[in-house]
Amino acid sequence: MIALIAPLVQEAAPVVSAPFFSLDPSGTPDVLGAWLISLFTLSVFSFLYRDNPFYKLAEHFFVGLSTAYFTLQYYEEGVLQPIYEWIHAAHATPEGALVNLGGLPIEPSTAIALRVGAGVFGLMLLFRMIRPNSWAPRWPLAIMVGVYAALKMTGETQSKFVILLGEQFNKALYDPAALSWSEATRIEQTGLYFTFARLVFITGLICALGHFMFTLKRTKGLQAVSRIGVITLMITFGSMFGFTVLGRIALLIERVNDLDRYTAPAYSLAAVDASGSGGSLLLTPPLLLGALIVALLALGAIQRRRPATPPPAAAGPG
Amino acid sequence: MATLGDLDRRWIFLAMGLLVVGMYAAGVKADLPSSPYVDSFYRTVEELPPRSIVLLSADFDPASAAELLPMYTGVIHHLLARKLRIVNTATWPAAPPYIRQEFARIAPLYGAVYGEDWVELGFKPGDDVAMGIIAQSLQNAFPTESRDGRSYADVPLLREVGAGMQGIDLLVTMSAGYPGILEWIAQVGGRYDVPIVCGTTAVQTPDIFAFYPRQVRGFLGAATGATQYLQLVDEVTTDAGVTAIKEENQRRMQVQSWGHVLIIGLIVLGNVIYFRGKRAPR
Repeated sequence: MIALIAPLVQEAAPVVSAPFFSLDPSGTPDVLGAWLISLFTLSVFSFLYRDNPFYKLAEHFFVGLSTAYFTLQYYEEGVLQPIYEWIHAAHATPEGALVNLGGLPIEPSTAIALRVGAGVFGLMLLFRMIRPNSWAPRWPLAIMVGVYAALKMTGETQSKFVILLGEQFNKALYDPAALSWSEATRIEQTGLYFTFARLVFITGLICALGHFMFTLKRTKGLQAVSRIGVITLMITFGSMFGFTVLGRIALLIERVNDLDRYTAPAYSLAAVDASGSGGSLLLTPPLLLGALIVALLALGAIQRRRPATPPPAAAGPG
Repeated sequence: MATLGDLDRRWIFLAMGLLVVGMYAAGVKADLPSSPYVDSFYRTVEELPPRSIVLLSADFDPASAAELLPMYTGVIHHLLARKLRIVNTATWPAAPPYIRQEFARIAPLYGAVYGEDWVELGFKPGDDVAMGIIAQSLQNAFPTESRDGRSYADVPLLREVGAGMQGIDLLVTMSAGYPGILEWIAQVGGRYDVPIVCGTTAVQTPDIFAFYPRQVRGFLGAATGATQYLQLVDEVTTDAGVTAIKEENQRRMQVQSWGHVLIIGLIVLGNVIYFRGKRAPR
């Protein structure tokens, strides 16, 4: 397969010269990064065969790096900046000037007190680690739940209930702005399509709701409605599944694209001349590491299939 | 048939892998006709007068970059080519490196000046609560910009953005999940008079149809939407980078199509095996 694909991949690979190590995200990817990216990508893919040490290595690196990155980001943006830096800035405000808190101009001393109060609430959450049944975390939790509920109730109710339902039920079955068959370039622009779509929507909605109507006796009529409801739901789930497959294949293609990029001669282990060409394809990170991983997994499989050597027979008396 | 029923699933993984690598290496491109949702996204940006301010939120991470990064890049090109100004935010912690990387590359192509034509505010933790705060008061959410640490009032572009989304003419989000477009709709669309457009991952796309066109003016659904949008953007920009991304996406779409054909074939085959197994005498 590699022999089949290699000439094509080689042709697609751009001729570039890459630095060995670079932290510039907008520049050419570095050689060290190419080897690490290829190693971890192929190690994760090796899990499709079976759980193995390469996958475990990649998994541990991933968890460790993600934890470090997210901890730093949240500390910087969630603790350092809103408490330390903000309070420092508020403290340095000229006398008589107001500071902005929640979009409102407020006295600096009041604003600092409110921020410190929020910080204290944050610390109270950690009391759970000292005593699980402590009263202290309940106060900040109660406030968080209250604020979250308020946010959800106002914005979400408006956008996902009032506007959405109002829009759907106020729409007529016929769109006067729709184009005629001769004018339309796409079928969605025609009035007939609009009416058909509206009918499908209304029927589907009513029947799907009817399927969950458990308080009424299941008469033949309700059973028919329920059946159409189930078909509607199945089409919906099928569409969602289709989109999910689309997403997953996109991820796979992106990894293939990335690996393809590192088959460029500049990333090869063999000597590369000043023009960036001359590196052997087989010594590039994806092919060399891929071959290495496959070989080691194959060796492991052979090892497992070999019958266990019987223990030497115990020497008898005499 | 009985043998196929017991087929090790690893053969399917291998088949998909070989198909994707083979089709990718073949390099055939697919030219896609644009959908009304993508057209509407494009038109919404085109209709903004020059110098309008766009809040561009990067709500994705490396796991969804395969779908969202090409459209994010396309959006930056489109906005800067139209001489629109961009305020960047992120509600996903892994997004800021993408913002920095893309703007470092694209902004100089259009002569965009940092602080006047675009600004980077960084990541704001707190999910939809953070979105609520951003909408309520951008200055309160980001007292300083994130690249040089200049205070809000010292950045000319930010001085034009007031509380309650004042000064913001359009909200664009590249949404990978939670928090994302659904939360922006609730926190901004439901409260302020700001049009919203978005790019979404394939998994999230079916959720957005219901909000189109009133609450979401247009959207780019997954890799398909990204390719359609890049085809449109490529016509208005002269940068070779856009053409390269567009062609790369067109190439990916061809592979996508064959991947789908394989999946559909496997579903049909699975059903045939299932129903034959049911009919077979026990």
